[in-house]
Parts: sequence; structure tokens; C-alpha cells
Amino acid sequence: MAIITAERVTYRYQGQGAHGVPALDELNVTFEQGQFIALLGSTGSGKSTLLQHLNGILQPTSGSLKVLEFTFQGGTPERGLKELRRRVGLVFQFPEQQLFEETVERDVLFGPLQFGQSEEEAKASARKAMMQVGLSESLLQVSPFELSGGQIRKVAIATVLASNPEIVVLDEPTATLDPVSRAELIALLHKLCKEEGKTIIMVTHRLDELFAYADSFALMKDGQVTFQGTRSQLVAQPERLGEAGILLPATMRLAALVMERSGVPMDQLPCSVEGWTEWLAAKIADVGLEGRSHFGSKQLEQQADSLEEKEE
Amino acid sequence: MQAKMMLGRYVAADSWIHRLDPRAKLTAMVIYLVAVILAEQFAELAALTVFALLIMISSRISLYRYFRASRPLWLIMAFMFIFYLLFDSSGSALVQVGGLKITTGGVTYGAYAVWRMALLVTLTAILTFTTAPVELNLGLERVLKPIRFVGGSPQRWSMMIGISLRFIPTIFEEAEKVMKAQASRGADYADLSFTQKGKLVMTLMVPVIVSAFRRAEELVQAMEARGYVLNAPRTSLRQLKWKQADTLFMALFIAMLVLVLLW
Repeated sequence: MAIITAERVTYRYQGQGAHGVPALDELNVTFEQGQFIALLGSTGSGKSTLLQHLNGILQPTSGSLKVLEFTFQGGTPERGLKELRRRVGLVFQFPEQQLFEETVERDVLFGPLQFGQSEEEAKASARKAMMQVGLSESLLQVSPFELSGGQIRKVAIATVLASNPEIVVLDEPTATLDPVSRAELIALLHKLCKEEGKTIIMVTHRLDELFAYADSFALMKDGQVTFQGTRSQLVAQPERLGEAGILLPATMRLAALVMERSGVPMDQLPCSVEGWTEWLAAKIADVGLEGRSHFGSKQLEQQADSLEEKEE
Repeated sequence: MQAKMMLGRYVAADSWIHRLDPRAKLTAMVIYLVAVILAEQFAELAALTVFALLIMISSRISLYRYFRASRPLWLIMAFMFIFYLLFDSSGSALVQVGGLKITTGGVTYGAYAVWRMALLVTLTAILTFTTAPVELNLGLERVLKPIRFVGGSPQRWSMMIGISLRFIPTIFEEAEKVMKAQASRGADYADLSFTQKGKLVMTLMVPVIVSAFRRAEELVQAMEARGYVLNAPRTSLRQLKWKQADTLFMALFIAMLVLVLLW
């Protein structure tokens, strides 16, 4: 079921004038409920602008946008969007600019309290959210400005998760995280999506980190969504990634090489690092059974052939 | 909010005022300031208004922008007017309620005060509108040069003023981002009552001030890392050149001042 539908949505920032290039240019897109959606695109392609439309912080200059039961028509500003914002949680790109309270606890409590939870419920939500992002409760009494960059990022994510939104929208949440925290965060989002049925929309520059997890991939360029589809559809059109300024994931490059050499179709090859580990282990085990010399000699022959071809 | 905050922003356009030497513009503004303060009669103020309008029009920036530039001061203007109404007792009485007397003098002087203020703000906005920050800074440093003789540091002052002007919009942008974060978490300014708004603005102060301090510290480090030493002799990429147009511009303002003095 479509949960977000954008039709010919155009957005111009103030001061750009009617002649400037719009941040969103007649953008069309549909996001399905309960999916983990990866939104990719180079800087300045309009990703952040699109995300801020999803909870009504920005509203379309023209076109129409439907999020849950809320409809925005271009040029007619909507007010009273508290309900929408309770149901759509937005984590902004720069986490240090979205914490404003004196302690981490008050910051995490802010959303739940504003959205009508009682003090008790809010505290429970806050504790749960802190646990989810992997922060210890001892940080609750600290000022957000005393935290490290990675911790600020996690707190910013916790402040949004604490309100228990149906749709979680995150703008480059992994940008300042270390690799371990990054993997943990994506695992958490994946779990929220698959176990609690939340719709997750996440912007990233690294297709690698979401390649194995996302159900749907959307590419943005110059304020438009230029591609939207599943992993196998994306794999079938790798040139689309280049157009959008995104690097092919390492696993996909490996798959392309293996396909080229062995002829195994792409959709039968793994897409995650874990998948490849198992695949390779299985291959090595096969080779071990059949005898080392067989696989090795075939490889050597192929390499020799290709070298000869090059020399000619 | 950033669109509302017009004071202190450069507006690119191609006009002869844009091309003037910043030193000429700075000095002209000081002369204008003196003229406005000295102007006490209707005719003088009217003449100054016409003069200011002509200058503003020739800058090729819409008059509406100048009007908007005065926005942050509307409250002060209103306060000034009320102050004159209540406490100036010259002229004949218009309305009398108990001990309170509103006189013709109060109304006229109040109106003149507001008028003067408006003249000041709108035309001085021309300085920041038509002069790129770098040039403004350079001009300021040159104009302030004489304070060296009394032990001051023109570079320090011009740098302080330049940096403050530069960061006004940045700080407002930052406040806007925090407001967006608050709106996202259920506290939208558009939906709040006046008192709730006030409370929320207070929560805005802490993060904005903290980030301003952090920004200042980073700026200092970046400047030192690039070898900035206060008061060290420096060359400048842009050389200021005094042209005939600059002399003309100054002459125009001096003539205006003389006119106001002789009136």
C-alpha cells in the first residue's frame, strides 16, 4: 500500500526567485508501507528537501503530496500538523543542530511529551529509545553539548524514535558514525522495519551499507527521482547509479566480475558481505572436495588465455 | 526567517553605487547621519527623503527591500512615537484624559523622530546592500586608520565589525534549523499561543548561543592555522581605487549637509 505519494512536486527555496533552479523539480515518487527504502543521490540532488516535505516542515510550491492521510497541495500552506509529525519522525542531517535542551533526557522527552504522552510513559519511551540506539542511561543527565559527535548523532536518532513514529525518515544518519555503530544502527532500523512494521526511509551516500538491507532503492538527480525499484532492478541497470553519482557497492562489483568470469547469473549471487563469505566458503569447500589442481589449473588456463589476447 | 532578516546582507546588482569605493560610501553615510540628526523641520526632512529615495532608486535594488530592512526597528519606532506623545507637552492640547495630555507638539516631534529613524535605517542599509563584505571591511579599515594615533587598532575594529555582519545571517539560519527540529518533534511555532511561543524561544537561546561560541572558537583556530596575526601588515587582493564618481558622490552628500546646515 502506498503510504507516500508525490505528484509533480516542485519546491523552490525562498530567495531563489522564479528563475532559479528549483530544489525539487516536478518530482514523482511513491513509497510503500512497511518497506525499508534507501534514498540515494549526489549532494544537491534534493534528498534533504524531499525528506523535509515528508512531515510538512517544507511544503510543496506546486504539485501535490500525500503522506498517510495528509494531503499537501502546492501553494496552500497547511497548519496543525502535530498529528502528522507524531506519525512521521524526521532525523535531520546535522544532529548538533537538532538538540536544544539542557540535558539529553529532556531532549529525548521533548517529543513524547509534546505528542501527549504522560511523564511516566515519556520516561519509559526515552529509556527504550536510548537502549535501542545503544547509549547508556548514564548519559541522560549530561548536556547534549558535552557529547562526542557519534553520541550526538545517536541521541538525535533516539529523540525521534522515542515518539514511536510509524514512518522514520533519516537524513544521512550514518555520516558521523564509526563502522560498528553504523552496522548496529542499520540492523536496528531493519529490525524496526521487519518486526514492528515501520516504514524506514534513509538517505545515504554509501550504497554499500544498505545494499543488502533495503527493499526499495530510489535514486535522485537534479530534484527528480530518476530510478526507483528493487535490488535486482537496480542491478540490471548499474548505469543508473553512475548517472546519480553513486559508487557501485563493492559486493556488486565483485558480483559483476564473478558473473563475467563464471557466467553465473547476477540474481543467483549474494549481495551482502555475509552472503559472500558463505558463498566463498562453499566454493572453497567444493574445490577442496574435487581436488585443488582442477580448479586451479582451469583458472590458470583462463588467465593465460586473457593475457595472450591482450598481447595480440 | 532568514528571508525576513534583510539587514546586513549584500544584494548583488549592477549599479554605479555598487561600483563606488567603500571609503566614499562609508564617509557619505556618516555625513548623511549628521544631516539627518541635524534636520529639524518638515522641509529639511522632506528634502532628505527625496535625496535618499533618489540614491536608493539608483542602486537598482527594489525599494521594498529597503523597507523590509527597517523591519527589526519597527517596535523601537513605535515606542519612540508613543514616548513623544506622552511626554512632550509643547504646542496646543489635542486630547486630554486626566493627567495625560496629547499635544500637537508631541505628535509632530514623535512623527519627526520616527521619520528620522526610518531615513537612517533605510539609507544606511544601502551600505551593506551595495558593498560586498570584503570591500566593506577593507574600506572600514582604511577609514578607521586615524585611531592608530590614539593607540587603537583599526584592523581589530574592522575585523570585529566585518565578522559580526558576516555571522548575523548564519546565526539566524542556525536558529531556524533548531526551530525546524522543534516543529518536527511537535512544537510548531505556527500553532502555538503567544506565551508558549515565548517559552519556546527561550529554549532556542541556549543552543544558538552555544553554537555561536563554538563557531567563534573554530574561526579563531582556522584563522591562526592560516597564519593570521592581528595588526601584522597585510596586502589585499582587492585594491581600493578612488575614482571621479567617488568624489562626485561625496560632493553630493557634502552639498546636502551644507544645505541642511544653512536652512
